[in-house]
Amino acid sequence: MGHEGALAIDLSHVEKMYKGKVHALRGIEMRVERGEVFGLLGPNGAGKSTLIKILMTVIKPTKCTGTMLGSKVGDTETLSRVGYLPEHHQFPDYLTARQLLNYVGAMCKIPKNARNKRIDELLEIVEMTDWGDKRIGSFSKGMRQRVGLAQALVHDPDLILLDEPTDGVDPMGRRDIRGIIARLKDEGKTIFLNSHLLSELEMVSDRVAILLQGVVRTQGTMGELIESRANYCIDIEETTAGNTLVEIAARADATVADSGRGLVLPTTDASVAQPVIDALRAHGLTITRCAINKPSLEDLFIEAVVDPTTGKALPPGASKDKKHKKSKHEAAPADAGNGRAH
Amino acid sequence: MLMQTWAMVIDAYRELCARKLFWITMALSGLVVLIFAAVGISKEGLTLLWFTLPIDGINTDILTKKFFYQNLFQGLGIGIWLSWIASILALVTTAGFFPNLIQAGSIEIHLSKPIGRLRLFLTRYLTGLLFVALQVAVFTTASFFVLGIRGGVWIPTVFLAIPIVIVFFSYLFAFCVLIGVMTRSAMPALLLTMLFWFALYIVNVGDATLVGFREGNQAIVDRNTLALERLEANTRKMVIEMKASEGTENYEPTDADLIAAMPLIERRRTDLVEEQEDLESLKKWAGRIYAVKTVLPKTAETIGLLGRWMIPQEEIDATRARSDAADGDDDETTPKPEATVEITLDDESDDAGQGMDPEAIEREFRSRSVAWIVGTSLAFEAFILGLAGFIFVRRDY
Repeated sequence: MGHEGALAIDLSHVEKMYKGKVHALRGIEMRVERGEVFGLLGPNGAGKSTLIKILMTVIKPTKCTGTMLGSKVGDTETLSRVGYLPEHHQFPDYLTARQLLNYVGAMCKIPKNARNKRIDELLEIVEMTDWGDKRIGSFSKGMRQRVGLAQALVHDPDLILLDEPTDGVDPMGRRDIRGIIARLKDEGKTIFLNSHLLSELEMVSDRVAILLQGVVRTQGTMGELIESRANYCIDIEETTAGNTLVEIAARADATVADSGRGLVLPTTDASVAQPVIDALRAHGLTITRCAINKPSLEDLFIEAVVDPTTGKALPPGASKDKKHKKSKHEAAPADAGNGRAH
Repeated sequence: MLMQTWAMVIDAYRELCARKLFWITMALSGLVVLIFAAVGISKEGLTLLWFTLPIDGINTDILTKKFFYQNLFQGLGIGIWLSWIASILALVTTAGFFPNLIQAGSIEIHLSKPIGRLRLFLTRYLTGLLFVALQVAVFTTASFFVLGIRGGVWIPTVFLAIPIVIVFFSYLFAFCVLIGVMTRSAMPALLLTMLFWFALYIVNVGDATLVGFREGNQAIVDRNTLALERLEANTRKMVIEMKASEGTENYEPTDADLIAAMPLIERRRTDLVEEQEDLESLKKWAGRIYAVKTVLPKTAETIGLLGRWMIPQEEIDATRARSDAADGDDDETTPKPEATVEITLDDESDDAGQGMDPEAIEREFRSRSVAWIVGTSLAFEAFILGLAGFIFVRRDY
């Protein structure tokens, strides 16, 4: 067991090269603090599941220096403190929910009495108490997902990795799962979420990372990422040539951009916007709207995965090395953490 | 540590219980046990339920009840049912054991637990033998009681069938696991294992055939060598007597004299040389197939160990003697060929040169050591499992 610091996950230079020279991960740098909900985003094939599987020892990394819960990544014993819900899990149809949880609990070395008590609690948490003794083969996808969540929690882990936890779950179920995640966070657990549902992540994540082409393109707290891209939008009633507006604003010593309907100031500081507003009004222009515009997680995601010069989505990830040419838009691993020091 | 192992055993048991084939096999085992209960032996012959079927050689004058039931259990119960039919059903049931484990969505659940991959692999392998272990344990226990109650003979050695059948099946299952791990699919695992088993069967039949022919031919060469020596001695005596009658005393006949007096000697010598060459060839091939068999699992011979341990050779010899004696009583008027030499001198005896000695096969197989039969088979199994384990441990899922 290594030294347990403030980080639940601390990864450096994580690389994975599959046979055939498919380079799935190209040097992941990622840090997840204890007690936070960390969201991992990225298009299909970006390497998200590969990264999670490396953490769970399902895949062996080509290169990896880092720790999970203070121990070297790949340490088997640490897994007794980590819960995992895989994507597209296949639980045996012949087991009941209770039997599955019992099996997983035993595999995590939980004593029988503690296991039985915990199973009852978990079935209640995931609202499957009435179905505990029914075979999984008879469950709907949403019910399987609930049981899957329960099995990830059966040994009361410190770190929980959930790969698409709301996959196939109806809106009510999603709300329930969000509730469970919030509850786990309140209990001090660290939750590492991988999901395509950006709105879901936005609601529960403290921090997010966006993975593309096997590297982290962006990571930071939701606040940091949003604030760094938030801006003032000033809309003008009558369309005036954009360059005229920019010139007016320049006279007020402000850096602005033409939005088509007015101006955009790359700041949320009202004191910076005020002189621009004054200058516009001094020129007799009517301001119809003045508001701080905060991007959604989807905006951040699109920004990260779209080539700004072409406006087209960048290739998501894994490609054969010999064909791979480093794009000028592809972030180098060292550039990955642009949100925070870690 | 034991908690995880026990959890995997319980899981494997539940998996088996969920498969219809497991219960079908169990029901068929019950049927075979019922057949044991229905069949018996009396002074008059074979009994089936309330009927007596007078069959030559099957009565308590020749076969003891114990010998009869031991043979019934070993021949029908183990030799046919458990080591063939039930084993095929077991392979069908367990071929998917590893492919199911390593399929996407399932393997993650297992590998993400605090258990080493090698231990996971080996535990899963051992739990895969549970099917056969349960089947053979239930079958043997039921047979023990049925034979005891119905036949009045209590044969505790039937329980030897449990380890023997499990070890026998483990050879095949190891191969099945290797293919399953390599292909991640149950169907190729099953089909290739059946093919492998068939190849082992062919090797075993080849071994038995060559041993039979080798021993049969050895006996013929020995016999014909002796016959030739006697023929030469008789001819020598005849030539000496002939020369003596011509007035030459103490004549020492040359080889040419012998051949001149008995041209058959030359033909017999030529035949003998050919027979010896054939024998050498047979010995060479039997040696080769023995060498091949040494590195392969010996399925039939492993099962054969049960017969060896359950029914001692003395018991077989005694039964054979009683059977021969009974045959002798029937054929008292038939003269026994005493002068084997004369028989082998007939041209028809050449056919016997092609013959084989089935009893020699049994003698040879019984003489092979347990260490060779089981030890080398387990070495093969360990190698195959090592290879499968290596793939399992190293692979990304």
